[in-house]
Amino acid sequence: MSGRAITTPRHRRPLRALWLAALLSAGLPSPAEAQIGTVVVRSPRPFGLFVGDRFAATVEIEAAEGFAPQAASLPKPGPLTAWLDLTRVAVAPGPVRDGNRLWRLSLTYQTFYAALDVRRLDVPAFAVTFASEAPRATTSAVAEVPGWPISVSPLREIQPPPVADPVEYMRPEGASPRRDPAVPRTLAGGFAASALAGLALLARDRAWWPFRHRPARAFAAAWRQVRRLAARRDAEAAYREALLALHRGLDRTDGRRVMGEDLAGFLARHPAYGALAQPLDRFFAASRDAFFGRDPSAAQRTCPFPDLVATARRLAAAERAARGGGAA
Amino acid sequence: MNQIRPTDTALTDWRQAALRFEAEIAKAVIGQERAIRLVTIAIFARGHVLLEGDVGVGKTTLLRAVARALGGAYERVEGTVDMMPSDLITHTYLAEDGRPRIEPGPVLRRSEDLSVFFFNEINRARPQVHSLMLRLMAERSVQAFNREYRFPHLQVFADRNRVEREETFELPAAARDRFLMEIGLEAPTDPGLRRRLAFDPLFHDTDALVAGIAPDVIDQASVAGIAAALQHGIHASPALEEYVVRLWAAIREPAQAGIALPDVAMEALVQGGASPRGVAFLIRAARVRAWLEGRDMLLPEDLRAVFAETMAHRIFLEPVYEMRRERIVPALCRAVLDTVPAP
Repeated sequence: MSGRAITTPRHRRPLRALWLAALLSAGLPSPAEAQIGTVVVRSPRPFGLFVGDRFAATVEIEAAEGFAPQAASLPKPGPLTAWLDLTRVAVAPGPVRDGNRLWRLSLTYQTFYAALDVRRLDVPAFAVTFASEAPRATTSAVAEVPGWPISVSPLREIQPPPVADPVEYMRPEGASPRRDPAVPRTLAGGFAASALAGLALLARDRAWWPFRHRPARAFAAAWRQVRRLAARRDAEAAYREALLALHRGLDRTDGRRVMGEDLAGFLARHPAYGALAQPLDRFFAASRDAFFGRDPSAAQRTCPFPDLVATARRLAAAERAARGGGAA
Repeated sequence: MNQIRPTDTALTDWRQAALRFEAEIAKAVIGQERAIRLVTIAIFARGHVLLEGDVGVGKTTLLRAVARALGGAYERVEGTVDMMPSDLITHTYLAEDGRPRIEPGPVLRRSEDLSVFFFNEINRARPQVHSLMLRLMAERSVQAFNREYRFPHLQVFADRNRVEREETFELPAAARDRFLMEIGLEAPTDPGLRRRLAFDPLFHDTDALVAGIAPDVIDQASVAGIAAALQHGIHASPALEEYVVRLWAAIREPAQAGIALPDVAMEALVQGGASPRGVAFLIRAARVRAWLEGRDMLLPEDLRAVFAETMAHRIFLEPVYEMRRERIVPALCRAVLDTVPAP
C-alpha cells in the first residue's frame, strides 16, 4: 500500500509529504549539486511480488537545463544483488519547467527472492551523474536515487479457516453486460445469405447442381460426362459414348444437329470456339470413323481418348469464358 | 476422311467424269450449283426427276443442258390438257396417199436407246397420261403394238411450274412417289449473277447456250452399271441405319419425336407417305452424294443433303394442311433433321 502511495500521491497526501521529505533530505543541494532538483521514485506495484516476478519503477529527476545523464553512470542491466536483477533501463527527457528539465528513468527489475513469508525488502539505491552538455564544460552533478521498499510474498496457498457453510466463501460472479443479440443475428443472417448467393453464382458459373442442365452450359455437361466416361474400363464403348456426349453438347449449343460439314458454320456462329477449330475437326473425323466408317478402331488413332477429354475440357472452358456473368 | 479405295479405280474415274459433267452444266446454268448437284445425284442413282419452279428460272435450260451432256437418245414432249397416252406411244397421221398411218410415237421412236425423256409441264397432262408415265418410270417398259418395249437406260425428267393452277392436274400420289427427287428451282439471288443473267447476251439465246456444252460427257449406257457398283461400294454402318430408322419414324410420327411447328396440330399432320420406296430412294441418292464427295462411307450429312428433295413430295398431309403444304413440309423436313440426333 505504501508503494501505491508513491504512484498516486493525491490520495495519500501525508505519505507523499513524508516521502518527499526523505527524498529532499537525500538530495539536499550541495554547492556542487545545485543543478539537480527533486528526485521522485514512482513504483506502480511494489507489493505482492513472487519469486521470478518482474516489476517496474520510474525515476523522475529534475536537472538544470543543459545537463543530461551520463550514459555510463546509469545502472547496468544485470544482477544487482543476490536476489534482484535489473533487466531493462531506458532514459528519456521530459518537459522543461522553471529552467529545470525532468528526466525519466524507466527501470524493470526481476526478483528472485524465494520468500517463506511476506516481507519487506529494499531495492538498492543508486546514483546518476548529470554532465553539462555545453561545449568543453566540465561541470557535473550527481543525483542520488534512494532505495525503496518492495514487499515479496511466498508461493503458498492460503488456507481459509473452515466454516460450517462454505457458501460463505462463494462470491457472486461479476455481472456481465447484457448484449442485444439482434445485431449479430442480423449480421449472421446477412453473411449467410451473401455466402449462399455467392455459392449460387459460383454453381451457376460452373454449371453445378441445380444448374446442371442450363442450355447455355451444354459443354459443361458434356465435359462432366466425358470425364466420368474416361474412368470407365470398357474403353471402346466409353469412347463412343464420349463422342456422343460431345455431339450432344454441340447440338445443344447450336440448337440444331451439328454434323461434320457444319463445323465452319458452327464456328462462324459461335466465334468463342474459334481456337478449337482443329480439335473439333479431328473430333468429327474420329466420330465419322467410329460411327460410320468401315474400321471403327481408326477413330482412336485420329483422336485418342485423352485428346477427346482435353477437347471437352477446352470447350467447357471456352463456353464458361464466353458466357460468364450469365450473358448467355 | 476416307478416300475411295484404290481398287475401285473405275468409281474414281467415274467420279471425275461426274464432276466434269457438273462443270459443263454450270457453264450454261449459273447460280444453280445445288440443283445441278442434285440432278447429277439423280442420274447416278438412276432416278427420275421432277423440276419445280417459277416461269423462266431455267428449268428447261437445265434439262436441255443435262440431256446434251448426258448423251444418248433424247425425246421431249409438252404436256397439254388434251394429250392422251396414245399421243406418247403412237404417231397417227394421214400419209401422202391419203391413208391413215400409225407409227411409233415419241416414247417408242428411239426404243431401247431412249435415255432422256423430257416431259415439259407435266401437270398440264391428264391423269391418263400420268398413269402411263407411272408404268414407264416404275418398270421402264411399255406395252404397244402387241409387244413390250423396254427402255433400260431411260430417265424421265419432268418439270412443272407452280404458278398456274388452272387447267392443270395435280400428279397422283403414286406418280409422285415414282420420282426420285422433286427439285425446286429458284432464280439466283446473288446480284452479280442476276446482272449477268439480265445483260450477258450469252444467256439470251438458249440454243447457243446449250450448244456450248460439251456433248456426251457421260456415257449414258454405262451409268446403270456404275450406279449399281457404287450402291455396293459405299458403306452404311449400323449407326447410320439406326439414324435412318429414327428419321423415318420422326417423319411419320412427328409429335412423338418431339417436333412442334407453329399453328400445326402435330398429332394430326401427316396422313401417310414416306414410303419404303421413298426411304430406299433416299439411301440411293445419299450414297451417290457420298461418292461425289469422295467418300466410301455414308454420313448423315449425305442424307441431309438430299432429304428434302427425296422425301418432301412423298409426305402426304391431312387435307386441312394440304393447302399450306409449301410452307409446312419444308419446315417439317428441317425440324426432323434438326431434331433427330446424328449419330
